[in-house]
Amino acid sequence: MPIVRFRWWIILTTLLLVVASIIPLLNIRINPDLESYLPDSMISRQNQKEINDAFGNEEILLIVIEAPDVLEQGTLLRVREISEAFAQMPQFERVYSLFQAKDIRSGDGSMIVESLVGQIPQTTIEREELRKAIVSNELAYKLTVSEDFRYLLIMLGLDGTLTDGQLMEMVQETLDRFPGEEKVSITGLPYLRDESNQKIGRDLMVLLPIGLLVMFLFLLISFRDLKSVLLPFSIVLFSIMICMAIIPVFGWELSLIGVLIPIMMIAIANNYGVYFVVRYHDISTAEPEMDVLERVKKTTDYLKMPVTLCGLTTIVGILGLVAHLLVPARQMGVVTAIGITFALSASLLFIPAVLSLFKKDKKHKKRFVHTGGFFHSLSERTAKHIVLHPKMIITAFALFLVLCSAGLFFLKTAPDFNKVLPENHAYNRAITILDNHFGGSKIIQVMFEGNTTDPFLLQCLDRYEKELKTLPNVGTVSSLSSVVKKISQALHDPGEPGYDQIPGSGEAVAQYLELYALSGDPGDLEQFVNFDYTKTLMTIQFHADELSQVRQVFSRIRQLTGSDSLEPVIGGFSLTDKDLGESVRRGQYYSLLAAFIAILFLLSVIFKSIKAGIIGSLPLIFSVLCTFGLMGWLGIELNIVTALLSSISIGLGVDFTIHIFWRIKWELAQGNDYTGSITTTLKSIGRGIVINACSVMLGFAVLFLSAFPLIRSFAFLIIVSLMLCLVCALVLIPAICYCARPKFLEKKNK
Amino acid sequence: MKTFFISLMTVMILFSGSQLAGQDAAAISKKSMDVVDMGSIQMDLTIHILDNKGNDRIRKIRIITGTFDDVNKTLIRFIAPPEVKGTSLLIYDYEDKDDDMWIYMPALRKVRRIVSSEKGKSFMGSEFTNADMSRPNQSDFNYEILGTELYEGKMCWKIESAGISSDVRKASGYSKTISFIDQENYLCHKVEYYDLSGSLHRIQYISDFRKQKGSNYIACRMTMENIQNKRTSQMTVDHFETGMQFSENAFSPSILQQ
Repeated sequence: MPIVRFRWWIILTTLLLVVASIIPLLNIRINPDLESYLPDSMISRQNQKEINDAFGNEEILLIVIEAPDVLEQGTLLRVREISEAFAQMPQFERVYSLFQAKDIRSGDGSMIVESLVGQIPQTTIEREELRKAIVSNELAYKLTVSEDFRYLLIMLGLDGTLTDGQLMEMVQETLDRFPGEEKVSITGLPYLRDESNQKIGRDLMVLLPIGLLVMFLFLLISFRDLKSVLLPFSIVLFSIMICMAIIPVFGWELSLIGVLIPIMMIAIANNYGVYFVVRYHDISTAEPEMDVLERVKKTTDYLKMPVTLCGLTTIVGILGLVAHLLVPARQMGVVTAIGITFALSASLLFIPAVLSLFKKDKKHKKRFVHTGGFFHSLSERTAKHIVLHPKMIITAFALFLVLCSAGLFFLKTAPDFNKVLPENHAYNRAITILDNHFGGSKIIQVMFEGNTTDPFLLQCLDRYEKELKTLPNVGTVSSLSSVVKKISQALHDPGEPGYDQIPGSGEAVAQYLELYALSGDPGDLEQFVNFDYTKTLMTIQFHADELSQVRQVFSRIRQLTGSDSLEPVIGGFSLTDKDLGESVRRGQYYSLLAAFIAILFLLSVIFKSIKAGIIGSLPLIFSVLCTFGLMGWLGIELNIVTALLSSISIGLGVDFTIHIFWRIKWELAQGNDYTGSITTTLKSIGRGIVINACSVMLGFAVLFLSAFPLIRSFAFLIIVSLMLCLVCALVLIPAICYCARPKFLEKKNK
Repeated sequence: MKTFFISLMTVMILFSGSQLAGQDAAAISKKSMDVVDMGSIQMDLTIHILDNKGNDRIRKIRIITGTFDDVNKTLIRFIAPPEVKGTSLLIYDYEDKDDDMWIYMPALRKVRRIVSSEKGKSFMGSEFTNADMSRPNQSDFNYEILGTELYEGKMCWKIESAGISSDVRKASGYSKTISFIDQENYLCHKVEYYDLSGSLHRIQYISDFRKQKGSNYIACRMTMENIQNKRTSQMTVDHFETGMQFSENAFSPSILQQ
């Protein structure tokens, strides 16, 4: 037997591979930048790059200060000290708060430019005067102060020289220097990245050891023999190391989704080894006099086909992720497929090679008793039910499918990345405040090219501003036309021609802008118009609870600009969010389709019948539709993590069906009728399938301890999905087989 | 905008190098900064404002200045580009109160007074600040000789000047400057500006000194390099006339429309 002949080579090669994987493992890096998960080919990313090239790639951090009345002396003093401290730090290119807001107006025939908050009010009268001034100042009201005066906003424009960790440490230190009773929340991509980075690291440090411990205990309880536990457990450890080492070897980084990789390996990699150990012990118990090498040979001969087929279908299912639009999902597909290939190969080669070195046990305990007990009676009753009422069972499954699938109408796609962090996290608290009390937390930017001092273009921008503001979820819209109109208000008295209007000539616009540049920071103007005045930017701030609201704003922009034959570049992180949401949905269809076709093909080839492919795919269709339907009913959104569900559950769920088909076919070949075959199948392999499914579900259950709610909902859904696959394989498939009596089951193996 | 513009463009040479021994930092700085009172000056300037990608925005302006009853008056008129040509800004710079400013825009054909307690940080949208254009009040700063250094073949004092209070530092926009002052003729060739957090922010290079009557110089080329945002601005004096006698009428708001 070649495995025995080359056993030392097999053992050494496996161990060498594992040891070699330590080197790249030391270089693994975490990438918490969610935006980088998107492919560069996405139109919104290309547009954003174009906008960034013209207007700079300044990232913003927002600090929200909450108090019963933010105009109270103590609160204002604290905010002033904080914003001044930030303004003194070169890492913040721009600091904008109530204290930087200017009051530009016309009065007594003059243009008046003042600080909005000259002095902090000492008396109630002064405070109310300031409140009135703020309400009438569109550069401050609802931008730096909320409508109800409960929140103040400090905007920090970052120069990008600090890492996210350093930046957040500096911000926190600064905030701590000026303590107060006001509640402080922070939001912005650097904060999200920093928090995600820490949580990814924490997840790996917590989930991996707990997952391994749980799996170890599960195997120990199942086998009650350390040797039998260590073999499949070592395959799990080796596969995790190989998997994780592949990430830096391919030049990739560990993403938020990557947290799933080691847990998936814990759940999947022991399967094949477990089958091997169980079969080896069964043979040892049945034939105690057989020598070790003969047992190994018999076990390998018996298992190589079904285990290889199960491994292959899992690999193919998971490789469906390669069709996904998200880069880390593709990477996970490749990495996990390689890890499972390793686990499968090691289970078929390394485990028998090591087993062949063991001495013959003196005494064999009888494990996995196949008669008596709860499971035995349950499977017998189930089998009886299946053969007595197969059509009723099929109808019940169909009804359940229809009921669950109705939830698909309510299935929503997450409109953003915000739910990466828990809902009560300071990051999301700040987002909620921005959505409810300011213009909104979502931004779309529209860049127009051409002569930016052309009054026609500015008139168009002015009209777009007004039109977009009528949309219910749009908070603020700002563009060069707002700036020009603001200057016109300061240069003319109310009622005078030209007041609050775009001037009629390009020269006048140019002179207005020159005046603005003379009296302010050049940076202020450069938010609206680029350095050489050839591009101008309109910014739309809004809130959206679902993707359709982002789509509505986007379509309105397209509609408005299209009517003027303008072709602007539309970008902004919210648009990337929208594209991501759509790509998650589309990616879901692609990977689902790819996995289905592959599984259909594989099952058809394995059982040499297209019918086998179709019937075998039914539990997967059932499970996927029901899971997504349930998501709709339960209000769980489709997002970057839950979108991975289908490929993974298809890859794993198909194993159960293969085992059922294989056993029924084997039983029929032994001369049993369908009733006997189904009953024996459920009593024998059914138990193995349940144990296997439980170990996989237990592995995934560890994800409930993740710091990311997205991962926790994934854990729930994958377990539900696997449970559905399991029930389908154990009940629906035998019922269909009983009714349809497909020919492929009755063909005899050569 | 105290002694707008002249202070940095005209530098007086007081004594020869041999007479300098034993001077303290403040005295050296004073000598370096002391401006010859020319009564009035007119100059045409080209300002190149370059962004971090090398895009160049060019402004040509004419500046005339004069002092009347201790009030420094400055008239800035845009010569180019064509769309802003004729735009004019008149500034009365008082010692003890906010500046008076008027703007004239040819497109509107009217003069508008600007009442502002806010001094724009940037001079004409360049990397120069309005504070750079003003002669600082020496009593507001502490001076220290950091040592000497050879700069482009000239032995220079390195003089540090730091605001005495946070208000002074905030008003000037920097925490300290380090000036490279020529030991031979007191010309300041380079100034390093440190921001309020103490990091190097901008470096100013002053060159093309042209000698005038007496011991005066006019620096005809100044470059300001912003280390933090990688932008550069350059001011070149294309033409200047000193010692001109402008009447006070030349600085009245009504003149702006002419």
